[in-house]
Amino acid sequence: MSDLVQILEGNTFVVSDNRGDIEASRTDPTGLFSFDTRFLSRWVLTVNGQRLSALSTDDLQYFQTRFFLVPGGGTVYVDAKLSVIRQREVADGFHEELRVLNHENEPVDLTIRIDAASDFADLFEVKDALRKKGSYHAEITGGSLVLGYRRETYARETWISSTAAAAMDEKGLTFTVTVPPHGEWSTELDVVASEGTFDGSSGPVGIRGQGQRRVRRDMARGLQKWLQNAPTVSCDWEPAEHIYRRCMTDLAALRFSTLTMPGRSLPAAGLPWFMTIFGRDSIFTSLQALPFTSELAATTLLALAERQGTRTDDFRDEDPGRILHEMRYGEMTAFEERPHSPYYGNADATALYVVLLDEYERWTGDTRLVRELEHAARAALNWIDEYADLQGNGYVSYQRRNQKTGLENQCWKDSWDSISYRNGDLPGFPRATCELQGYAYDAKVRGARLARLVWKDPAFADRLEKEAADLKRRFNRDFWVADGEYFAVALDGDGGQVDSLTSNIGHLLWSGIVDKTKARSVARHLLGPRLFSGWGVRTLAEGEARYNPVGYHVGTVWPFDNSFIAWGLRRYGFKEEAACIVAGIMEAAQVFDGRLPEAFGGYQRDATRYPVQYPTACSPQAWSTGAPLLLLRAGLGLEPQGDNLIVDPALPTRIGNLQLLDLPGRWKKMDAFGRGRIDTDRLIRR
Amino acid sequence: MPTTSVRSRPAARSADPISEFFEGLAAPGCLDTFAGQSATVRFDVRDDRALQHWYVTVTRGDVAVSQSSDEAEATVMVDRPHLEAMVTGRLNAQAALLRGLLTCEGSMAMLIMFQRCLPGPRGSTGRVAPISSETVMAQRRPA
Repeated sequence: MSDLVQILEGNTFVVSDNRGDIEASRTDPTGLFSFDTRFLSRWVLTVNGQRLSALSTDDLQYFQTRFFLVPGGGTVYVDAKLSVIRQREVADGFHEELRVLNHENEPVDLTIRIDAASDFADLFEVKDALRKKGSYHAEITGGSLVLGYRRETYARETWISSTAAAAMDEKGLTFTVTVPPHGEWSTELDVVASEGTFDGSSGPVGIRGQGQRRVRRDMARGLQKWLQNAPTVSCDWEPAEHIYRRCMTDLAALRFSTLTMPGRSLPAAGLPWFMTIFGRDSIFTSLQALPFTSELAATTLLALAERQGTRTDDFRDEDPGRILHEMRYGEMTAFEERPHSPYYGNADATALYVVLLDEYERWTGDTRLVRELEHAARAALNWIDEYADLQGNGYVSYQRRNQKTGLENQCWKDSWDSISYRNGDLPGFPRATCELQGYAYDAKVRGARLARLVWKDPAFADRLEKEAADLKRRFNRDFWVADGEYFAVALDGDGGQVDSLTSNIGHLLWSGIVDKTKARSVARHLLGPRLFSGWGVRTLAEGEARYNPVGYHVGTVWPFDNSFIAWGLRRYGFKEEAACIVAGIMEAAQVFDGRLPEAFGGYQRDATRYPVQYPTACSPQAWSTGAPLLLLRAGLGLEPQGDNLIVDPALPTRIGNLQLLDLPGRWKKMDAFGRGRIDTDRLIRR
Repeated sequence: MPTTSVRSRPAARSADPISEFFEGLAAPGCLDTFAGQSATVRFDVRDDRALQHWYVTVTRGDVAVSQSSDEAEATVMVDRPHLEAMVTGRLNAQAALLRGLLTCEGSMAMLIMFQRCLPGPRGSTGRVAPISSETVMAQRRPA
C-alpha cells in the first residue's frame, strides 16, 4: 500500500495515498472528512484511462500538499512524456489545482477523468464498520456535481466544481483536452463539504459558513503569525530546535475553532480519529503549551465552560458541573445512537479544569477571565464533592451510567484492561483511580488560591484548603501499598487496594498530594527497572500480570504521561530523575523526527536500540505534540512566582546550552537560559 | 418596541409545555447557569397554523421573556413538536441541531447558552448499581 498523506485544518482533513487518490473501503480511514463525516470516499485521477504514479510528494504546509505524478505505475523506469502536478489545500473541504504538462514537440489529446463518490460515513461507522440507514443521491446543479445523503431531516452534501469546462456525470468529471507542444493545461477544483440545509439556488455553504478562498488566505497568514509569535529555542543539541519547530507547527495544525468562537482556537486531540474537543486532552495540551502560548488555554477554558454539564442525563453520563469528555458532530451523534452531543464520561477533566484555570492565571495574570469563569469553576469544584463521590467515602470514583456506549474507564487510561490488580484480575465498579484524587486535591488547593485572590471569598478558600488537607491525609493512608512502598493504582468498589505498580504515581507528584516522606520511594519506583525503560516511564510495571510492552495502557511508554511525571518530579525536587525523563523522551523525539507518537513500546532501551512505535497510535496527537514543550519547562525549571518567572535548570549534559527567548506571560517577555550538567547517561545505566 | 416581562404580566396558566417552559425561565433565581451573562434569543416556533415568537432577554443573569418579534442576537427556528420534545427532556438540542430539526441564525453561542437550561431525560436518575470484580472478569473472559 502507498503512503498516506494527511492534510488538515480544524476538523477537516484528507487522507489519501501518495498520488493524492482516495479509494476508501468501509473500514479504511481514508477520504475527505469534515465534522466527523466522510464527504469523499473516492477521488481517483486517470489520464487516458491510466492511473498515475508518484515521483514525489511534498507537504508544503500542514494544510497543503503537492503531488508530482506521471502516467503509468509500478515500473522502475519512467519515460514520461507527460507530467501531472496536483496541489491540494484543505479548508471547508479542499481546493485542488491540477496541471498537466506536455513534454513533447507534438500536441497531445487527453481524456482526464476524476472519479468521485461519497459514502457519508460517520467516523464511528468507519471505526466500527457499521451500515448506513439513509439514502444517497447525485445530481448536476448549476455547474457543480452534488453528491448527497439524506436520512429524515439530516442532510449532508459534497459540492464539486471546476474552473475548466468539464463533462459531469453522477460518478465524476471528464475533461477532453488538447495540450500544445511543451504546453500546459490546468484547472482548479473545489470540493465543499456542506450541511445541505439550503435550497440549492445559491450554491454550497460550507459547514462553517465561510468562503473557501478566505479560509485559505487566513490559514496561511495564521500559521505564519503563530510561528512568528512563538518564543524561539536555541540549543547546542541540534535536534531540540527541530523538535520544537515540529511541535509548534503540529500544534498549529491541531488547532480547532468551535462554531461559537470563530477566530479562537483550542487544541483538538489528534489525527485522524480525534479532531474534536476532548475535555481531558484539550486541558492537558493547554497546560503543556502554557509557557509558549496561553491562547489555547483561554479558549479551552471558555469552550468547556460553555458546554459544562447542567443536568442529570444518564445516556450522556452528564451531571451538573461536569466538564465534557468528547464532542462529535456526525450522523450517529445526531440520531442519539452515540452519546457525544457532548458525552461527559470522564472523571478527571472537571478537576483538571480548575487546575488549568489557576495555572493560566499564574502565567498570564488574566484575572478578568478567572472572574468571568467563576461560576464554571465553582460548579466544577462542587461536582467533585456532590457528584463524583460515588461510594460516599470521600474519593472521586467513576462508573458509567450509559452501559451500552459509555466509557468503562473514565480516566486517561481508558482501555478496558488498563486498571488491574497485580495478579491481572480487573476490579469491579465504581473505581477510584489514584490520580483522580491527586487532581481533586490540586483543584481544591488551586481553587482556594483563586477564591482568595480573585473571587474575594476567603471563607470558601478556607473550606477548600481544609478539605484538601483532609483528602491528602486520608489518601496517604488508604492508597499506600506498604509492602511495595508506592500508591495503589485505585481503590475498588469495596475500598480495597488495586495494588499494581503504574505510571499513575507520577501524576500524584505533579498534583502535590504525596506526603514528603513518601515521595522518595515514589521517585525511586518511577526511575526503577520495573517502570523506567530507558526512554521513559511505562504505563504498567514489568512483572505485573498484565504487563505487555506493546499493550495500549499496560506497558507502553506515553510521552504525554512522562512530561507530567517530569513536572511532578521537579515539584518534589527530584532534579536528576526529571532530567533522565527529559533526556529519554527528547531522544525518542529525535528518533521520531520530532513528532512523538501517542505511545511507543515499553521494551528495555538497550534491547531494541530504537523506540518501537505502538502499532495503531494516531499522529500527530495533541498531548504528544505538547510533551516536548512541557519537558523544556521541566528541564529549565520554569515556574511563575508573582510577577516573576523563576528559572532553575536541571538539564541533561547532552543538551549543552539551551535558551528560550521571549517567553510570554504577566512579565511581558522573558528569556530563560540553562546548561546541561546532569550526566543522565550514567544515571540511566545505573 | 419595549419587551414585556412575563413576571410583570401574569400569564394565563396553560397545559402547553412550551409556554410553561418559557414562563419558568423568568422565575427569579431559577437559572444560575446564566450568572452574569447577557444575551437575546428569539425562538420562531412553527406549527400548521401560525408562527409564534418567544423572545428571551438575559441581562446580567436576569431573565425576561416576551413574545416580541424584534431582532435578537440569535434566532432559532423550530417546529412546535420538536421544541416541545426538547423542553420536556425527550430530545437533545445539540442532536436536533445536527439533525436539522432546528436551525440557528446569528450567534451560535447564544443557542448553546440557552440549551443549558433544558431538562435532562425523564428517566435519568444519576444512579447505577455497582458491579463486582467477578462480573467484570466473567464478561472479559476470552471465549
